[in-house]
Amino acid sequence: MKNQLKSLREGRGWTQGALADRLGVSRQTVNALETGRYDPALPLAFRIARLFGQPIESIFTPPEEQEVPES
Amino acid sequence: MTNKLDSKDRSEGDREKSRAYQREFWPGILAYAVVLVGVLVWGGLDGDSPWRFLWAVLPVIPALWIVRAVLRHVRRIDDYQRLLLLQALGGGFAVAMIASVTLAFLEIAGLSISGVGWIIYGAGMLGWIISGAVVGRR
Repeated sequence: MKNQLKSLREGRGWTQGALADRLGVSRQTVNALETGRYDPALPLAFRIARLFGQPIESIFTPPEEQEVPES
Repeated sequence: MTNKLDSKDRSEGDREKSRAYQREFWPGILAYAVVLVGVLVWGGLDGDSPWRFLWAVLPVIPALWIVRAVLRHVRRIDDYQRLLLLQALGGGFAVAMIASVTLAFLEIAGLSISGVGWIIYGAGMLGWIISGAVVGRR
């Protein structure tokens, strides 16, 4: 899943470690989130959204092919 | 050009969790080593005293302290780190199982192997360490 985490973080002038401390996760986790290797669980996604003051869907963009088909 | 925001330094939270783990883990390892050496030197495990069975299982007590330290560490880390740890443990478990089955078949085939338990333990630990290094690099 693509996300805007890196640009949001850099926009605030934070290192990965500084963002990790604000989110209560490891720097390794922030790196995995930014590179799209790890999709966060809902509680972490909500913490990220709250921290940057944006809705989850404006930070995380699911790949088109993963969209749920209409029934 | 390297941006200072691209720093790979561990966060303060990472360092605090690591310190807490080290504080709990190393006393357990030290106690385990002391008890193990004591049992091997003075336990008379190759004698015929019935007490030798008690001495033989005595190192399990400090080993439980190590297990407690690891479990508390797992509770402190986040979901992604737990995922990596699970993958590393899975690698170690697979290696231990393969070693176990291989040694069992070799014994069935008539090969006499001493210290089978230690070989399986070593293979599992080695598998865990290597798997941990591999998944941690991703």
